[in-house]
Amino acid sequence: MAINIEIGQEIPGLSKTAFSPIEQDARNPIHTDEYAQKQGMQGALVPGSTLLSYMLEMLYNTFEEKWLHSGKINISFIGGGAVNGDQITTHGKIKSIDPQEGGNRITLDLWMENQDGVKIMVGEASCLR
Amino acid sequence: MSLESDFEAIPIGFDLGEWEMILDEETINTYADRMQWKAREVIDKLHCAPPGTSIGLHPRMQFAKFTNLKSAIWAKSEHEFLKPFKMGTKLRIRGKIVDKFVKRGRFYKVAEFEALDENGEVLMRSRETGINVE
Repeated sequence: MAINIEIGQEIPGLSKTAFSPIEQDARNPIHTDEYAQKQGMQGALVPGSTLLSYMLEMLYNTFEEKWLHSGKINISFIGGGAVNGDQITTHGKIKSIDPQEGGNRITLDLWMENQDGVKIMVGEASCLR
Repeated sequence: MSLESDFEAIPIGFDLGEWEMILDEETINTYADRMQWKAREVIDKLHCAPPGTSIGLHPRMQFAKFTNLKSAIWAKSEHEFLKPFKMGTKLRIRGKIVDKFVKRGRFYKVAEFEALDENGEVLMRSRETGINVE
């Protein structure tokens, strides 16, 4: 995907309906409605690895094959996470460009929001380009 | 056993063992479907798995070892992608507990993982911080 690599530039984000099949016999019951609701959540939490995958798809779209060789991501889960059916959007904004062996390492701020504009993931990623 | 006593019993350096994952076409497509992965080029043209395909195994490795652990959620997740996960690769994923701490009454474990190919080349490194929940 051709994007302008400039500090302050936002990369194209993704919108998805967060979803992971609820497995009532899941080993981690936080991914079941009953247990998650007992913990004060609205419903079964969508696994962090699923939310991470949504973010990785955005980064792959931006950096393409380079991401598979030189991508780095560091994220924190905040804001109570996501439950099935939440409308999430991924965001990335370039914050630095540093020349390195093999190209420029592009570093971005990352965040993910739910339908209410609440941030449920924040962090940073970088990749050579 | 209580959450606290279980947590205290976990030694730093605890070996989570080694799991295997065959990156065959069906496994990759199943993952892509579950993740609503639309960037098909990585699969159809590059013949690779989407990045992150093996990450879901990491919590399962912990649950397999910590049989008293009721539940856990991720707090932080770091990953470094070094080489593509090529279709047909037999991945080996190994992990260990590298730190643990209590903060604001919550019990945190930090685990590191490596995904290697058949030649022992490291394809991905991960460091994940999870909160034990009771």
